[in-house]
Order: sequence, then structure tokens, then C-alpha cells
Amino acid sequence: MSDGEASLKVENVTKRFGDFTAVENLSFDVRAGRVFGFLGPNGAGKTTTIRMIVGITAPDEGVIELFGERMSSKLQDRIGYLPEERGLYKKMKIADQLRYFAALKDVPAAVAEKRIDQWLERLNLSEWKNKKTTDLSKGMQQKIQFISTVLHDPDLLILDEPFSGLDPVNVEFMIDVLAEFKTRNKTIIFSTHLMETAERLCHDIILINKSRKVIGGSLREVKAGYGKNLIALRAVGGETVLADRSLVASAAEHSDQIEIELAEGGDPQLLLKRLLDSGAKIAKFEQIEPSLNDIFIDQVGGDTSSEFQL
Amino acid sequence: MRKFLAVVKHEYKKIVVKWTFLIGTLLFPLLGVGFAIVPAIIFSMKGEPTRLVVVDSSSKIAPRLKENLSSSRIAAKAQQAANESLKDMNASQEDRIKSGATQLASGFIFVDFDAAGKTPEQIREELNQKAASDQIDAYLLIPRDVAGANSQFEFRSRKAGDFVANDTVKDALNDAIRSQRLADANINEATLQNINQNVDFDSKSISETGEEKDGDSLFIASLVIGMMIYISLTIYGQIIMGAVVEEKETRIAEILFSSARPFDLMFGKLVGVGLAGLTQLGIWVGSLAALFAFLSTQADMGPILETLPRVTPLMVLYFFAYFLVGYFTYAAVFALIGSMVTTVQEGGQFAFPPIMIMLVGFYFGFAVIRDPNSSLSFWVSISPFFAPLTMPIRILAETPPLWEIGLSLLLNGLTIAGLVWIAARVYRVGMLMYGKRATIPEVLKWIRQA
Repeated sequence: MSDGEASLKVENVTKRFGDFTAVENLSFDVRAGRVFGFLGPNGAGKTTTIRMIVGITAPDEGVIELFGERMSSKLQDRIGYLPEERGLYKKMKIADQLRYFAALKDVPAAVAEKRIDQWLERLNLSEWKNKKTTDLSKGMQQKIQFISTVLHDPDLLILDEPFSGLDPVNVEFMIDVLAEFKTRNKTIIFSTHLMETAERLCHDIILINKSRKVIGGSLREVKAGYGKNLIALRAVGGETVLADRSLVASAAEHSDQIEIELAEGGDPQLLLKRLLDSGAKIAKFEQIEPSLNDIFIDQVGGDTSSEFQL
Repeated sequence: MRKFLAVVKHEYKKIVVKWTFLIGTLLFPLLGVGFAIVPAIIFSMKGEPTRLVVVDSSSKIAPRLKENLSSSRIAAKAQQAANESLKDMNASQEDRIKSGATQLASGFIFVDFDAAGKTPEQIREELNQKAASDQIDAYLLIPRDVAGANSQFEFRSRKAGDFVANDTVKDALNDAIRSQRLADANINEATLQNINQNVDFDSKSISETGEEKDGDSLFIASLVIGMMIYISLTIYGQIIMGAVVEEKETRIAEILFSSARPFDLMFGKLVGVGLAGLTQLGIWVGSLAALFAFLSTQADMGPILETLPRVTPLMVLYFFAYFLVGYFTYAAVFALIGSMVTTVQEGGQFAFPPIMIMLVGFYFGFAVIRDPNSSLSFWVSISPFFAPLTMPIRILAETPPLWEIGLSLLLNGLTIAGLVWIAARVYRVGMLMYGKRATIPEVLKWIRQA
């Protein structure tokens, strides 16, 4: 990890429900001004961990520290949490709901009022201020929920699948808002199972599966550490070099290129040299980084049997 | 504390700032006012008098009949009927309508008709024509021999549906004939009135302090209060359950729990909804007080008001206290149920047991009215769950010693503390359990868990 104090520290946290261990000995740090991807399949223990971070439940073992203090109900006011399963009061006016959520975060009424107007305007929802939830489309409701998450200008933002149900325009819009929060040195935890989005937004990630941490660190570190030394090659000739098992573990022929996995300790530079020496005509030689998706699938596999949620 | 107050305010506004609250609150006193005022208004309305021809072949009955149908006599009768109907709350619906309607009787105008030398057929034909041309409304033919077994009195009226007028004529006629028959038998009118006088059965109960209380009106007042508490408890209990289930169903609970302590959220909800209930009850009690204040200005109502049980400000205070006791007892139970179930419909099934308990308490109220000092009355009025429904009635009927009220409040207060404690534990876990209804063993486990 690079410089900067960790604003959130999760240390050796364990949570059990009866005989079932939902989170086991989990540790990670999250730094301010960066987007932290909290990844894992359903039932891996993401929601349980998040609930401990936001103070809904307490860990059985281990410590959660936020902004240098042990997690407490007082710190809840500095967290904005957008749960994956979320809703609004059906028959209540939008403004009234937002006022209530702001009051629960201890925002003075006048400040809340101003921010509600600002956010509604920013998200093009001003005319819906005094409408009821049932009058709004699902996408609008999502945006209102997002507003309720940020009304108290939290220092830590935890978004659980924030984009589900949003159209692409609004997804881009939300990403802009997140970028702004990032520049204001807020801490953002972003939980998802959409690896493309995570890859695009996150600086740091942790991947958990079956209650445990699988990998963690900055996205670059993770990818580098996970590097399987894949190479995409488009060339004429050089077959003998590719057949050398001391250098090439496997070579899979695709429609327009060959995907090569280097052997253990294999050096891409050496492969390139050998290919050139063999007289092969090379049109493309590219070292491929594994995508987050590849890493996810490789680590988690098809095993998402555990469906526990609490 | 600020968050707790925010929850209280939120829950209070959610109920009170709503059309349904206004309508529900207004409907009750309006109904009450309606029942009290409308008969009084109708009472004061006079219909058009009935134009009546009396052809008296016996020439003995008509003067007595006319006197019986005079407006002063009718008014006296109506007053008597009104008093009886108020006393006799067990009278059948039909009787009540009739006795109420007697008060509507609007008098008669006697139209002269010369019947001399005409045959009965001629008389009928002429009178029918007069009725048809709207010169008269009705006529009565009195036979020559009024005492005979087969003698028939013919009453024909354009207003066949006016059973009040018809009955009034019939009663007046019967009275006149009876008087005539008695006069024929040499019994004078004064003796007759003495014989016919009803006994005045004045039933009142005596309190320990030696005060007299009116039994009938006590019963009605207790019934009203019992109903009022029972209905409010049911309504507000269900409101609590609905609010809890909504937050669970829409997953708002997750956001709430990340902002405030579950206990503050649950207890704030109980207090907020309770204040809404108190507001409504306050409006009701206030409007009842206003109603009685208004009625006491009406001369007619004086004697009726005197028969009502005396309600002291302390009693009103006790009444509110027991409403709160009942409210918190059952609201905690309903909050507990709400956090166990997944939908309002499911909650409806689970709401059955507490509502049954309330209903049993309501029925115990009748036993308390009958004998406020029995040991059954003592036990139900101090026991948790039943006290809120029985003690106010007992206080109204026969205020028990202060220590009994104190004991009752203490026991119920402890029960509430226990119930709220249990409900808070179930709420904390149950609200985040999605998808399936919690089983009783699970709930017991949550309660035991620290």
C-alpha cells in the first residue's frame, strides 16, 4: 500500500451466528481519498462486514477503528451507508423522508433543508420534492436513496451495489459525484460483484470468499501479484519455440491470435527474443494483465453455494 | 436523545398530519354529538298539523277525544315518552324509533262537519271527497254504541304512513273510550288517574362514601369508556405494527440502524405513535366535555345530565394514565410481532392473540360494572394486560382505594418495562432478517442473546 493514514482499520474481525462463521479473522485498511472495492460473491460475508463497519452489529472478535477511534454510535453520523437492499417510506413526501434521514444523522434542520434543495436540483429531481415515493420511478427512487446517503456530508461513504437499477446516464452521473467526493478526500467503500465497474473505479480492493480474505491491496499490486504471465501473440512461424515446455506452459490458438501462458519463471523478454531468432514474423506481442473478472472467477470459481445472509 | 426526539416527531407527524387522522378524530365526536343533538333538534321541529273530522254518532266520545288530542296533552305525553326511552336503554329498536317519533307529534286541527241526517254511506263519500280535494287529512267515525263488542271505529287518513298521527289518534281514542266506560261504571277521573300511575322506580347505587350513583347511566358511561379504550388500543397497536413492518419490508431498517440505536428507534416509535393517540383521545375527551357544557345550557337536558355519573378531573387523569398503560403494553407486543413477520398480512394473523386478550379484558369490564368491589374486579383491575381495560371502569363505578390503583400502576409499569425490553431485543435482530418469518425458538434465542 502507498502513503496516507488509514481512515478505516478492520483488524482480525470475526463474526459468528450460532455455529456459522460469517466473517473470519478479516483485516484490511481503507485510506481517505481513494475508492476501495469490497468484492466477493453473494454470501461471502460482505454485508455482515459492512454492518459491523457502520455499527449495526458488533464484531465477536477483533477491532474496527474509524478515523482513529473505535467504532461507536457517535461515529455513525460520519458514515453514509447505501445498503444493497434499500427502500423509502411509500406514502411519505420525498422532502419529509430526506428531512427525517438527515435528522437521524444529527444534521441541523436549516442545513438539511438547504442541502436537500441542492441535491434535488443537482439530480434533476426538484419538481418531485413534495411528491410521494409511489409517484417516482425506480431510478428516481434510487437517486433519492443516494441523496439520503450523502445529506450529512459523510466522511466515509459505503455504497453496496449502488448502480443496480440505474440507467447508463445516471451511472455516469453517480460516478462523477463519487469522483467529487474523492477529491474532497472522503473515504469511499464500494461493494459490488460487477468486476468491470470495480476495475474502473477502485484504487484498492479486497476480495473475500467464504468469510475469509482471498486477496487484497492496490489494484495494480493485486494484478501484478496475480500475474499469470499471459501473452497475446499474432505471428507467422515460431511454432518450435512455442512447443518448448520449459518456456511456454500452454499456447491456445484463438481466431486471430495465440494466447500464451508462460511456464513457471518464464521470461517474456526471452520468449520474444527466441521468437525473433527463430525467424517468426511478429504482428503483435502483448503482455496481458489478468482482468479483475478473471481473478474473481479464478479465486471464487463457480462456488457460490453459500447463500447465508444476515 | 436528539435522535430519539427526531423519531418521536417523525412518527407523530406521520399519523397526525394526515387526512385519515382528521376524519377519524372528527367522526367519533360527530357521531356522539349527532346521537345527542339530532333528536333534540327534531323534537323541536313541528310538522304540519293533521286536519281531522270527527263524526261522533254516540255524541259522548268527541269532547274527551278532542281534549286528549289537544297540543298541551300531546306535549306532556311526548315528554313522558322521552324520559322513558332514556331510562329504558334495553328497549327494542322498533320501540325506540316509535317512542322517539312520538315526540314528533305535531297536533291536530278539528274541522267541523255537519253529519245530521246523512246516512253513513253519504258521510263516507263526502269525507272521502274532501280528503281527495285536500280540505281534510283524515276522519274518524265513532259508532253509536261505543261499548259493543262489534262496534268499529273507522279511521281513514290521506297520510297512511304517518304512524305517529295514527297511533296518537288511536291512543287518544282508547283513552277517551276507557274514560267513558269508567265514567259509565261510576268511577271518577281522579281515582282513575291514581290507579293508572306508574311506580317511580328510582335505581341508584350507593358508594362507600355514601353517595348515590345512577345505575343505568353508569353502565352506559362505562361501556362508552371501555369501547373507547378498546378501540384506541386496537387501532394504535395496529398502527405500530404497520409502521414496524413497513420499515422492515422496505429495508429502511438497515438505514435507520446505521444512524441510530435500535432502542431509540423502537421506543421513539412507541412514544410518537402514543402521543398521536393521546392527541386524538384528548380531542375526544375535550369535545365530550364541550358537549356536556353545551347540553347543560339546554333546559330540557338538565334532568338527564343529573343522572350521569360524576366525572372528576382526577378520573380523567386516571383515564389518560390507563390509556397510556394499555397503549404501551399492547404497542410493545405489536412492535414485537411486527419485527418477527415479513408482511402486514402475516402480522394480522399474529395480532389475533393480543386482540383476543384485549377483548377478554373488555368483557371483564362488564363484571366490574356489576360488582366493582368483588375480588374478581380487584384482580382484573391490577393484572397486567387487563387493567387498562378494567380499571378505568372500576374507577368510574366505584373508585377503589388509592393503594389498589398504585399497585395496579406499579404492576403494569413493570410489565411494560419487561415487554419493551423483550420487544427491543427482538426488534434489533428481527428487523434485519429478511425473507422469512422468525420462528418462536429463534425469537427466544434473540431475547436470550446479549
